Amino acid sequence: MSKKNVPKAIPGTAPPAVGADKTVVKAVNLSGGIFGACPAHVDVKDGKVIRIRPLHYDSKYDYESFNPWEMERNGVKFRPLSKSVPPPWGLAYKKRAYSPNRVPYPLKRVDWDPNGERNTHNRGSSKFERISWDEATDIIASEIRRIHKEYGPLAILVQGDGHSESKLIHAPHGCSTLLLDKMGGFTQQVRNPDSWEGWYWGAKHVWGKGFIGNMAPAENIVNDITENTELLIIQGGDLETTPWGFRGQMASRLMFFWQEAGIEQVYICPDLNYSAAIHANKWIPVLPNTDAALQLAIIYTWVTEGTYDKEYVATHAVGMDKIEDYVLGKVDGIPKTPKWASEKCGIPSYTIKALARHWAKKTTTVGHYFGGGYIRGPYATEPARLEVILLGMQGLGKPGVHHAQIAYLGMPKNITWDQLNYDIANSDTSKGFQEYSGTFETIKQKDPELHERIFNPHRGTPQAWGKQLIPKTLIEEAIKKGTDKYLEFWGTGGHEEEPIDQMIKYTYPCKKGDLRYTGEEKKDLTHNDSDIEKLYKEIDYDGTPIRMVWTDTPCRQTCWGDGFDIGMTIRDPQIEFVLAQHPWLENDCIYADIVLPTNTTLEVDDIMPCVRDGEHFQTVLNMRQAIPPVGDSKSDFEAVVEISKKLGMEEEVTIGRTIDEYIEGVYKGMNFDRIVSWEEFQEKDYMVIPVSKNWKTLPAGLYEFYKDPEANPLPTPTGKLEFCSTNLQKYFPNDEERPPYPQWIEKGITHDERLSSPRARAYPLLVVSNHPRWRVHAQADDIPWTKEAMTGKIRGFDGYLYEPCWINPKDAEARGIKTGDIVKVFNERGTVLCGALVIERIIPGAVSIDHGARTDIIIPGKLDRGGAINLITPKGLTSRHAGGQATTSFLVDVQRVTMEEYEKWRTGYPEAWNRQYDRASGLKASAWVERGIK
Amino acid sequence: MGKKVFLVDTGICNGCYSCHIGCKDEHVTNDWTPVAKPQPEIGQFWLKMHEKIRGSVPKVKVHYRPGMCMHCDNPTCMEACPIDGAIYKRDDGLVIIDPEKCTGCRNCLEACPYEDVIYFNEDLNIAQKCTGCAHLLDNGWKETRCSDNCPTLAIRIVDEDSEEAKEFIANAEFYKPELAEKMKPRVYYKGLPKKFIAGTVFDPVADEVIIGGTCTLTGAGGKKFTTATDHFGDFWFENLPDGVFKLEIKADGKTKVFTDLDTAAADINLGDIPLT
Repeated sequence: MSKKNVPKAIPGTAPPAVGADKTVVKAVNLSGGIFGACPAHVDVKDGKVIRIRPLHYDSKYDYESFNPWEMERNGVKFRPLSKSVPPPWGLAYKKRAYSPNRVPYPLKRVDWDPNGERNTHNRGSSKFERISWDEATDIIASEIRRIHKEYGPLAILVQGDGHSESKLIHAPHGCSTLLLDKMGGFTQQVRNPDSWEGWYWGAKHVWGKGFIGNMAPAENIVNDITENTELLIIQGGDLETTPWGFRGQMASRLMFFWQEAGIEQVYICPDLNYSAAIHANKWIPVLPNTDAALQLAIIYTWVTEGTYDKEYVATHAVGMDKIEDYVLGKVDGIPKTPKWASEKCGIPSYTIKALARHWAKKTTTVGHYFGGGYIRGPYATEPARLEVILLGMQGLGKPGVHHAQIAYLGMPKNITWDQLNYDIANSDTSKGFQEYSGTFETIKQKDPELHERIFNPHRGTPQAWGKQLIPKTLIEEAIKKGTDKYLEFWGTGGHEEEPIDQMIKYTYPCKKGDLRYTGEEKKDLTHNDSDIEKLYKEIDYDGTPIRMVWTDTPCRQTCWGDGFDIGMTIRDPQIEFVLAQHPWLENDCIYADIVLPTNTTLEVDDIMPCVRDGEHFQTVLNMRQAIPPVGDSKSDFEAVVEISKKLGMEEEVTIGRTIDEYIEGVYKGMNFDRIVSWEEFQEKDYMVIPVSKNWKTLPAGLYEFYKDPEANPLPTPTGKLEFCSTNLQKYFPNDEERPPYPQWIEKGITHDERLSSPRARAYPLLVVSNHPRWRVHAQADDIPWTKEAMTGKIRGFDGYLYEPCWINPKDAEARGIKTGDIVKVFNERGTVLCGALVIERIIPGAVSIDHGARTDIIIPGKLDRGGAINLITPKGLTSRHAGGQATTSFLVDVQRVTMEEYEKWRTGYPEAWNRQYDRASGLKASAWVERGIK
Repeated sequence: MGKKVFLVDTGICNGCYSCHIGCKDEHVTNDWTPVAKPQPEIGQFWLKMHEKIRGSVPKVKVHYRPGMCMHCDNPTCMEACPIDGAIYKRDDGLVIIDPEKCTGCRNCLEACPYEDVIYFNEDLNIAQKCTGCAHLLDNGWKETRCSDNCPTLAIRIVDEDSEEAKEFIANAEFYKPELAEKMKPRVYYKGLPKKFIAGTVFDPVADEVIIGGTCTLTGAGGKKFTTATDHFGDFWFENLPDGVFKLEIKADGKTKVFTDLDTAAADINLGDIPLT
């Protein structure tokens, strides 16, 4: 590996706003919710955006006043840049605001008549007509009243969670709850941990709650890896893709720095992902979702060669005997040798042994950034738990030995940790404000009404707080139960739940006597089932089947499992009304009865604390309106206010305050005026939160546990790493899909997605479906400029921009496929068209298709042209009792689309095939509007 | 005004295309006459990212090269232009096609020896290319949009006589070096890919990788390169010139020889090599 020159920060280069009459600050990341990132300066002229550029932190402050951190290894230094480093689509975001895909005005499905025939079976097929905001809100208010009267408030399902633009006040998701919560409640779609299912449903039973299932505490592990780690194994995650949506591209600089500093990077993934492509010292390709076999063979090698930390395991872990018996074949007669694993995972046995020995010799961290081949596939609990066991066998918590969501957690702390919020009662600074909600604690104490107004729309992701709950992975199952049957599930999937929640059986519709979390924080938990009494109480009401869906997160078909079924199930007449509010007429919006046009961050006044880890510096942004609302749009919050007016609920929703009052309330409520005065903040529009002078004093990761496990126990029933889980043993002793200790699951009642399956005769390729490089899940698929990247889109002979399907030259040749060909990717669940990209970045036997492409359904339930691969992912959960999604690593075949077939579709479905299409950005909203286009 | 040079370190380019985005964001729909009229929405790239996938599974690397106008000191486009002053060189070294004087004769497209630099805008009937964001540099910017957008500082535009430039240029090279003497380009690169020969050596009987095996590569004129297999049994010969090589692998008294390894066409992955 050649030495690379990692440049130092170069302050003092802040550019002026040439050609602009106004400049505002915006967070242009797309992880959304309560915290932002990626501050950018937006230059505006005559009400039009002319450019979006990185914010130079030092354009209005002195760089050194931020107390910049510094890290060093082998004489190579790493310091923060003086500018933000947004992702490419953040810098191209004006295309998103001005997209031909914007919902132009309120729309009603032409054949949906709330006073007559609703034609629910035509959802996704019939088009829309223009109505006014007044007409739309009249219909919506009257439907809400009717449904409340006929069925009760819980008959309304809120789909209001997930990723989006970063707006605090004009929350893109969940504003509907501001209204419905005050009208008797609602049914909540609880967002599952869609990018890290394995850690949530698996690793939590090894190391306890963690941070949403990941290792916690994880403070300061970035610096600790810098100083102590010799080998960094990146198993599936992509540091050059997934961090972009959350915090921009700081992680890219970090990986280059570690490279230059001599920290070896080994990537284990089926595809040469974007990080492996430029940072890997070695790429070990593995068949999708067979990592558990590799991991078991590594354990086998360590056990048989005696190369693990036996002393640590004896004092820090329970259940090693079970693991040892299992890998040696004493349980099932099959020793988990490297040869055995090689047949499963495709890695030569000599390479498995070489990796096992190298790992045992070197101080090793396993790194990720969510996503990847194993953590969100079938049975993801198993490799996730095995990863913790492997780390445990080499002294997890020891300097340089971590599970790292790299730079998502573990960056130097800013002064909110130790100086700013010193007067918060009950503040738990040991957690370094990792939780979603922690930083808002100050507002809660000073101004509870404001806290509720700001926080509630953002609760749908971290917390299960609706009166009736349906996990996001089970919406279709719930609808299919009809109105007289119950759905049962274990655990809500709410991100901040205790592990014990997964032992609780929930029902939908909920029943009197069902257990529900009280929301109380308890310090004296034993992490045994006795906690259930402390944390849960019985509910005293019965639920009701849902009759209406109100979505502001209309991307289920392209981001959740078995998307074709999602599109068919929403046609059920039980669902009398589907309301969508969204800026773009895409994906699930097409299935709504009314669509309200909401707007982008560029069109509103808002405030955004960018306070989570992963950027060079953390900031607070006074995000002033850049441009007037596009078309007839309103913000998501304003849309809900319009509906509230018709229901006489405006005051309850707005709490009688203006947007400016919210902004000031948040700034002062979070104590930021102690750093930069409110007046100065308004004048400069941003402020940088200085780095704490004490940041290095926080122990790195699980160091305290490593040092003294008795004094610093883990939040597990035994206080130790539970290689065999006490709770799983007690509650699900016979679960063959998530046994008490992790095992190799060839197939089970939930999934049959391996090459050994008879299904593989018809569908011999495994799909790896990563988080996209050129989108954030479903967001930003209409930006023309990212489509022009080599891996952006593939323009077919017909001019259509197809989603790329990476295929190895060997598999392509066997199928007569060339780059640029239109190919069909298919299994029993349907067919998705893609553009072939024949490439050495994917192993034979697997194909790679990023998820989240915009759907373009040609035959409902059967054929899509947009390349939305989730339309044909498995339906099933992670496993029987683990409610995650399994949306990567599944069987398909890929074939070139013949001209006969192409002509059959083109002439057989002419209207769908010839939808209005913009050569640069793709499908246009007008494709779906029958009446009202000017 | 100092003369500008572009310094591009492809070794720290992550291929994010933010440079390409910055160029589009600045120049599509925005009219910066007299420096530039708008760039077409798609299909033309005043800053073009060149992606190259090297090797084969599992020895694969990706190389990215952001390419812009070389702003040559001997610009053949300028010589080929029949209109006086339609292509001109500024005091700071940037070469500009004047969008108001260009008559659309296309001579410059033929004259430029580098690919993907000058484009023809059919709608406006003019030739267009990278301006070095001259309209920004003239108004207080110290960088171009591509360099300001770059998250790793892989692209820099600086004064030729700055310390940063001198230090960089001392170890830099030109893209298509054979053209450099004639054209005198103002874009300097580091990290442009050469060729590699790589593989993994293992003992099929013991079913183990071979660590510390001696690999000797002999090139034209007998020039030798040696390396040892690492803890994965891997060997990598990087930064090789185009040419024909012979490789000899020795370990545990066993030898394996590969001849006629021709790197002219592509990087070579010899795969997993059993040493028997």
